[in-house]
Amino acid sequence: MDILFLLIPLSIVLVFLIIVVFAWALKSGQFDDIEREGERMLRTDPDELDSSQPRR
Amino acid sequence: MVPGQFSGDPVLSATQAAAVDDRRQQSAFTQWIDDGQGGELGQSRLLIGGMYCAACAGQIEAALLRIEGVSRADVSGAAQRAVVVWDPRRTRVSSLIEAVRAIGYGAFPDTGAQAVAQASQASRQSIWRLFVASFCMMQVMMYATPSYVAGAGDITPDMLRLLNWASWVLSIPVMIFAAGPFFRGAWAGLRARRISMDLPIALGVAVTFVASSVATFHPDGAIGSEVYFDSLTMFVSFLFAARTLEARARRRAAQSLDAVMRRLPDAVERLDAQGRGELVPASMLTVGDRVRVHAGQAFAADGRLLEGRTQVDEAMLTGESRPVDRATGEEVSAGCLNLGAPVVMEVLQLGAQTRYQRIVALVERALTERPAFILATDRLAGPFLIGVLVLAALAWGAWMVIDPSRALWVAVAVLVVTCPCALSLGAPVALLATAGELARRGVVVQRLDALEVLTRVGDVVFDKTGTVTEDRLALAATVEMQPTAPVCAGLPAGLLRDVARQLAERSSHPLSRALVQALPPADWSAEPADLLEQAGQGVQASVRIAACSLEARLGSGAWCAAADMAATVARPQVWLAVRDGADAAAAWQPVLRFEFDEVLRSDAARGTARLAAAGLKLHLLSGDQPGSVAAMAARLGIDDLRAQCTPQDKLSAVEALQRQGRVVAMVGDGINDAPVLARADVSIAMGTAAALAQARADVIVLSDRIEDLPLLFDTARRTLAIVRQNLRWALAYNAVSVPLALAGWLPPWLAGIGMAASSLVVVVNALRLTRRRAWGSGGR
Repeated sequence: MDILFLLIPLSIVLVFLIIVVFAWALKSGQFDDIEREGERMLRTDPDELDSSQPRR
Repeated sequence: MVPGQFSGDPVLSATQAAAVDDRRQQSAFTQWIDDGQGGELGQSRLLIGGMYCAACAGQIEAALLRIEGVSRADVSGAAQRAVVVWDPRRTRVSSLIEAVRAIGYGAFPDTGAQAVAQASQASRQSIWRLFVASFCMMQVMMYATPSYVAGAGDITPDMLRLLNWASWVLSIPVMIFAAGPFFRGAWAGLRARRISMDLPIALGVAVTFVASSVATFHPDGAIGSEVYFDSLTMFVSFLFAARTLEARARRRAAQSLDAVMRRLPDAVERLDAQGRGELVPASMLTVGDRVRVHAGQAFAADGRLLEGRTQVDEAMLTGESRPVDRATGEEVSAGCLNLGAPVVMEVLQLGAQTRYQRIVALVERALTERPAFILATDRLAGPFLIGVLVLAALAWGAWMVIDPSRALWVAVAVLVVTCPCALSLGAPVALLATAGELARRGVVVQRLDALEVLTRVGDVVFDKTGTVTEDRLALAATVEMQPTAPVCAGLPAGLLRDVARQLAERSSHPLSRALVQALPPADWSAEPADLLEQAGQGVQASVRIAACSLEARLGSGAWCAAADMAATVARPQVWLAVRDGADAAAAWQPVLRFEFDEVLRSDAARGTARLAAAGLKLHLLSGDQPGSVAAMAARLGIDDLRAQCTPQDKLSAVEALQRQGRVVAMVGDGINDAPVLARADVSIAMGTAAALAQARADVIVLSDRIEDLPLLFDTARRTLAIVRQNLRWALAYNAVSVPLALAGWLPPWLAGIGMAASSLVVVVNALRLTRRRAWGSGGR
């Protein structure tokens, strides 16, 4: 039972850690276009990723 | 984007100010209009960040109008845009932007790229808030569970305090990140001495948090040891989820504009004098540049094709999804897609001057105005909010007498459950969705009030036949004449037609071109000689057929010695006359008469049939001859027609209808007959795409499809129905939920769900308007 006094504060630290990791992922643009990865297999253009054309 | 993000230094840096004040850069978001006194005024579009409700719009407008030299400012909360008219001699764009920033909102010149950057920033913000709120909520729920399931004495006071403390810690990020916008919105409202819609929510959240915090750290205090962190985090995350969905829906409603904006390429291949291509930013283009546009690319500017021939997708301008052919020398519009082959074009117009940007400006102009019935709901929201605050205070007072331990939570529930958002959002979001959807089909609503009037229209008056016909003529009949003295021993009529075609091919007159299109190519190929073209009369040539030499004339009745007979025919006509080539003194003998007719637009009859089926009475007023008007009306199924009308006749015809209590929609070209269009209750302009800037009408049909008229009437009806549903729903929801909360039957968390769901229902209902429906042909 006493172990809970350690585990609960630990869980709080873990929550904050996850939030920080998510913030980093968001900031690096990983959620900007979530449909793109799914559509990529349908594309024929091999260098679509570094193409300078704006996507429509 | 939230106001707080711009609360830093409102003053622009020197380089930023220089960039927005540079005349060349301004062309991307500014149109120059004549001020009527020889000078010019700038009409700039700004993107506004941090607006959450319609009330913010009024505040920003006031701030802009305080600037010396600003003559007009319209802000749209729904489209998050402002249109400002300013005098370049008295102020600058940088001053406009600084004024908006000074009151805590963001402002950017509305060029395509900025809109994209801001949209992606806003989407990151909302994902972040949603994640923090829901992740922390999940964890707080786990800490809260033991106190719900444990029996008395099962859980030690120490453990309970630890769990409460843990919930408190995890509520802090929710308060800071997720609930931030509510606090900022409420604060911005208070600073402007105004009660914003965020205030009741912010109060409810703050009261819950403070009371629960006190209970956590002083369980023996006046508030007791009961904590509500679980209700708090759940309420915030639900509310935020609703707001995210709502924002997404709003974006979808405005998307028909943004989506095409993104279509303009950022970089273009400019050709130098030697024809070498160089990739440059589209903003560096100037008028006269030559640009190569590859297949699949969009045109960056309005221009003329110098090389190549291709198909162009002009759907965004006209709603017409079939590609159109464009050859060298023809014009293309910015934003349209090059589908066929690589072409080179010369830039004619850039930025805000392009046809596409002018359409966008028209649509946005309409979106920034607030029709009468929206103003009514806006006025209602203020007293409503004061009423909520007073009710919450009264509820608290009353419950302090009945049951002090519940007083605080009842007051919080009242604050949270009321939903003025549904009331103030119901109408604008529906109108925005409609305007966007119609614009996508090539129908631009210039005055949003017109949508309401359209639902009451009983009579549709077509002003002039040009609105239902194409701008070309077609051969309707060929009449053979019996020559008094046969030339060349009776040439067969077929051969005479060949002669007519040969002559017509050598003339550029519109009737000649129509004749060439209608007659089969001649299988006989003698070159006409001694060609003579008389302006306004016709062409003459000498032709040899077999052993026979003759002279032929193609042209007006007078030119072909048939003036008397020509007067008896109402339709436009061309005559063919011949005489013996050997005898220069012989009289001309008319042998063939070609009669022409206007061509009805292919969809006109279908369109008018649908209008009639929808219960509208159709009228046709025309300045043309009675015969051709009657024929046209018969083909369109219009019973009431009047020919040879002067503009004054048309005006009195419309007035007569209105005196009978009919609501009249006038369909014209929007440029001529302005008084008639202005007199009608709703004016609809067709066929004016070329002269868009001068068009003065409530609705402009860019697609020129008559078939889009029934669609317009139908959409207007559906829009008004949805606006009414939304308002009814908002009133009913509040009328039911507030008494429940006052009676103490609504716990705060349920109140939160109710409020979030209520505004979501309104937005989703409005979005039904953007649902694709199979309508007519050629549309998307």
